[in-house]
Amino acid sequence: MQLISKNSLTNKVRKTANVNAALAAATCALLGTSAVVQADEGLWEMDAALLYYGETERVTAVEGVFSAKKDFGDEHIFSTKITADSLTGASASGAVAQPNAQTYTRPSGKGQYVVAAGEVPLDDTFHDTRVQLEAQWTQPLWNDMRGSTGVHLSKEYDYLSIAVNGSLAKDFNQKNTTVSAGLSLAYDTIDPEGGRPVAFSEMVIDEGQFANEEAYQAAFDATRQTDTDDKTTVDLMFGVTQIINRRILMQFNYGLSMSDGYHTDPFKVLSVVNDQGLTQSLVHEDRPTERTRHNFYWQTKYALDSGVADISYRYATDDWDINSHTIDSRFRFNLSDNTYIQPHFRYYQQSAADFYQPFLLEDSSLPTFASADYRLGEMTAYTIGLKYGMTMPSGNEWAFRVEYYQQDPKNAGFDAPGALQQLDLYPSVKAVIAQVSYSF
Amino acid sequence: MNDAFTIEQKSDHIIGRFAAMASPCELLIETKDPLLANHLTSLAYKESQRIEQKFSRYLPNNLMANINHRMGKAVAIDDETFRLLEFANTCFELSDGMFDITSGVLRKAWKFDGSDNLPTPDAVKVLMPHIGWRKVKYTQSSITLAKGMELDFGGIGKEYAVDCVAKLCAESASTTSIVVNFGGDIQVTRARHNSQPWHIGIENPEDDNSTTKVLKIVSGGLATSGDARRYLLKDGKHYSHILNPETGYPTETAARSVTVAAPHCIQAGLLATMALLKGPNAEVFLEQQDVKFWCYR
Repeated sequence: MQLISKNSLTNKVRKTANVNAALAAATCALLGTSAVVQADEGLWEMDAALLYYGETERVTAVEGVFSAKKDFGDEHIFSTKITADSLTGASASGAVAQPNAQTYTRPSGKGQYVVAAGEVPLDDTFHDTRVQLEAQWTQPLWNDMRGSTGVHLSKEYDYLSIAVNGSLAKDFNQKNTTVSAGLSLAYDTIDPEGGRPVAFSEMVIDEGQFANEEAYQAAFDATRQTDTDDKTTVDLMFGVTQIINRRILMQFNYGLSMSDGYHTDPFKVLSVVNDQGLTQSLVHEDRPTERTRHNFYWQTKYALDSGVADISYRYATDDWDINSHTIDSRFRFNLSDNTYIQPHFRYYQQSAADFYQPFLLEDSSLPTFASADYRLGEMTAYTIGLKYGMTMPSGNEWAFRVEYYQQDPKNAGFDAPGALQQLDLYPSVKAVIAQVSYSF
Repeated sequence: MNDAFTIEQKSDHIIGRFAAMASPCELLIETKDPLLANHLTSLAYKESQRIEQKFSRYLPNNLMANINHRMGKAVAIDDETFRLLEFANTCFELSDGMFDITSGVLRKAWKFDGSDNLPTPDAVKVLMPHIGWRKVKYTQSSITLAKGMELDFGGIGKEYAVDCVAKLCAESASTTSIVVNFGGDIQVTRARHNSQPWHIGIENPEDDNSTTKVLKIVSGGLATSGDARRYLLKDGKHYSHILNPETGYPTETAARSVTVAAPHCIQAGLLATMALLKGPNAEVFLEQQDVKFWCYR
């Protein structure tokens, strides 16, 4: 005999529509208590969601998520999640736009693509399928302590990530305070199509200068390392959750993430430009092999009479000099007993990595590390969205979410020479997100 | 300390004991603090006294005596009484009229003492006009019973008291696991810290020698209806003490006792009673309710 969550409770009661359900309601009215239902074993709570993410002229992603959770009694909870993504479209290569058309070799070395004059160079061969599996087991240990352990597996065509995690949480102060500590270890291996580029090697572009296919291939292969590379990541998390009063809950987290290994994006390049701003060559980027990040997170949930306000702030800083601030807010308004709307607003700001450069200058010496990946540059981003949820008479819930996302890269103080002054070096990324989810 | 209740220290909990509602009552409290145990047992004792004083039909000058002997005149009631009447009304509807708190008058004809003394048909027949929940008129503030009719909260009173006591204990010691056990009607306020089940000795209804069997409960409520010792036996036929308010006679082939587990004691109690009233269909009924139960025939 144990309590099961309210979600599956409604399912159970509604589905059987029996005497017990009516009696449970009458009992609650008599005793003035909230409804709880016992079951020998909890039911599986399942969620399925389908998400569409579409950037204008860039990446389109479709993601399906299926998650299931079951309480095997006395808060022994198993949860699992399967995510499958499919990405297609084009992504910024890191090269700068030019007043003339540009020809690039595809990252695989097989074939070329041409970017029109004035256009942001996008690598249009971007497509991938990713499958992720997660499983987590949580149970009480001793003295108000809970333990949780899990595994995470993520597989893409050229990427494999395996992670294990464990955490402990302990309640204090009549369960009003929960302190937790967690550890996660991840091991990633990467083996990109066509091999990993040699740092700062020049992109080999076949413009008729090669005697034959073999000569081209030999020149291309000289820019590549064929073995796989890897990265290990250790994450530590410490958190305190405090119930302030009947309506307010606050959470503070500190996270430390240390990664060691291959951080470079094998598909990203930098343009080497002369003092007129004209591209002379393209070189492959290179990033440091270590990164240490700290993040500080504060969240407050406030229960209103007819909804919930959820506001959070995150500050992250790392030894690449990327400092970021995130403000996220959601307000849930219950329209009726069975329906709600939830506006969402998120604002994000980050400073550029110390090795970020939108391009390299021909006459300057090569830096130790460099990347023109817009995701490492200075930027602001915001999301606005709206979610609508409704509980069906069966107790199952449908939810619909629509969001708009815009990312505005900024110039982090680089002077653009000559022709580059007339070109958009920091184009915005605009995306629409739509999601349908069903809980049963 | 109060003479009305006692406290006994066990290895990992404290037991508070007292008597109320013609039953041995106990609290199993997961604490080592005797002051907390004393406070909770005192609270439980006072609450059960309060409920017994107010709703027992055996006492001469209480609310029930007032309601039952006004002979057609309205009697003022408070909110608690109204909520109990509403609950009884729901039970009447859910049981298609088989659970009827006006059927207690049948006790004037039926004495379930293990003998073969069946009442005469006339003795039963004369009581039938005084039975019928639908004849009871009540509002939020008053109730009117026709002359000769009586209300009897005996079918829900003890379970109600268990739930009220459990609620008070949970409010007073929200992090402590407490078992409220009034003669086998049980409510656990919350799971123990180590999530181990409570082991509770309850009387075996199948055995007259008062042997106990040990029952494990983690959380929620448990209640038993039926009494294996209350029956009549005539010409080899067994008459259970479960009376059908529509016929005035015992329910045919009723189980001897039914124990049900549910989130709340009173909910479990009503399911058990309704199952008994279903006669041969008790098990089928309980299966449909998706609850854990034990049926003794």
